[in-house]
Amino acid sequence: MECRAVVSSLSDYLDGRNIWVSDDEVEQIETHLTNCPACRNLKLEFSEIKNAARELPLHTPSPALWARISKAVESEISIESGPIRRTQNASGWWGWLNSRKFTFSLPQLAAGGALAVILIFAGISGIFGAHSGPLNLKGAQSSMLLPEEDEIKADLERRLGAVNARKAQWDSQRRADFEHHMNKIDESLKRCRYMLEDNPNDSGRQEMVRALYDEKRQLLEDVERLKW
Amino acid sequence: MVKAIPSSAQSSKSVSKFPAVGAARTTLAGLAIGLVVLTAAASTSSAQTFSRAFAVSPERSELEVVNQAGTIKVKAGANPTKIVINARQSDGAAKIDATQNSLGKVKVEVTGQGKVDFEIDVPASSSIDLLSYQGAIVVTNLAGAVRARVTDGDIQIDGLRSPKVEARCTQGNVSFSGEVLPSGSYTLKSFSGRVDAILPADADFKLSASSFRGGMDLGEFQMKFDKRSYQLVEASYGAGRASISLWTQEGSIHLHRKP
Repeated sequence: MECRAVVSSLSDYLDGRNIWVSDDEVEQIETHLTNCPACRNLKLEFSEIKNAARELPLHTPSPALWARISKAVESEISIESGPIRRTQNASGWWGWLNSRKFTFSLPQLAAGGALAVILIFAGISGIFGAHSGPLNLKGAQSSMLLPEEDEIKADLERRLGAVNARKAQWDSQRRADFEHHMNKIDESLKRCRYMLEDNPNDSGRQEMVRALYDEKRQLLEDVERLKW
Repeated sequence: MVKAIPSSAQSSKSVSKFPAVGAARTTLAGLAIGLVVLTAAASTSSAQTFSRAFAVSPERSELEVVNQAGTIKVKAGANPTKIVINARQSDGAAKIDATQNSLGKVKVEVTGQGKVDFEIDVPASSSIDLLSYQGAIVVTNLAGAVRARVTDGDIQIDGLRSPKVEARCTQGNVSFSGEVLPSGSYTLKSFSGRVDAILPADADFKLSASSFRGGMDLGEFQMKFDKRSYQLVEASYGAGRASISLWTQEGSIHLHRKP
């Protein structure tokens, strides 16, 4: 897969939108990311933008601003009625906009600028709305999405501690294999947790997160049983 | 009579006549024998076999196998009172222990590194618990509870008449073909592989299927759906007596009706 193709699919890949990115494409993207530092950096940047957008505070425009916008729209509608409207349609919206004179005070301009910034960030949030992908979990993992999540995490930590204590005796191939499997499960877990964060009461997503925790527990349990 | 020279004498004469050629022949013969012996020895050390048999009760037979790498094949054997274990080891690094506890349970455990392939015959009603980190698991024609777990490898379960099946792999495909008993519980899971279940047309079950990425193909059974989305299905077929759970994170799920 070429860089261009990876870049065009990266957003969907990070969102985990499996309707748009097939399994084969995911595999190709992941292979490419392993070998291409430039695309890896881009993926990191996308993830950071997404995280930043998520952490932005929500601003509600003041009632006064909405009142002014509403008044302006209403006055425009009243001007548009009658024969003038036909003229506007004939010359098109662009012509109409060019013919208009817009005058704003400094506070109005400042408020408009702030609104534009809010809308841009809201747009970015919307684009990355699924909150999925192998992202930094700072913040995301601090909240508990399942009632039993603390208990699950404590159990996993205990098992992981036992496995880590034995890891030094493994050869490098085994360590790499084990870490590869753990990382893959962790990435999926992060993705599904982000999706659950968007809709915490979705029982289907809750089950997906549970299934991944269970898969992780099973892998650790197996490795504990194997005498390497 | 005097002229009749025995062949051995002739031979010894010729040896004495061409001493260098004789020595070379002796050396070559020695080398050939040595090579044969060395090859046999090398072959013995690179592929060792292991065989054990345990007497068990046909009503209550249990087997646990913990393998590091290699295939585990378990099938219903001809003898209903014996568990027969045959193993082939690719190198000498792994150690195989096979023991039986006071309750009759047989445990086979491989320690150390190395690939070991098992072929095990058990009474059909045996309960089995198989674990391998790397390698395939194949279970055939059993009627007891089956638990199979592989981190990296496929699981294939055929001809089962078992009330409880749990087959899981992290990286690999899981396939199940067998009867669905009315109060049975069947769990087939793979993190990154495909899950296939081939069920009889008269099966009666409640299904929970989840695939995050790969999609599902449940088309051959006309089910009653409680929940149905691209990633999650909860449905029942017939009275919904048995419980079937299929899960894969990255692979696909396929439900087939046995012709």
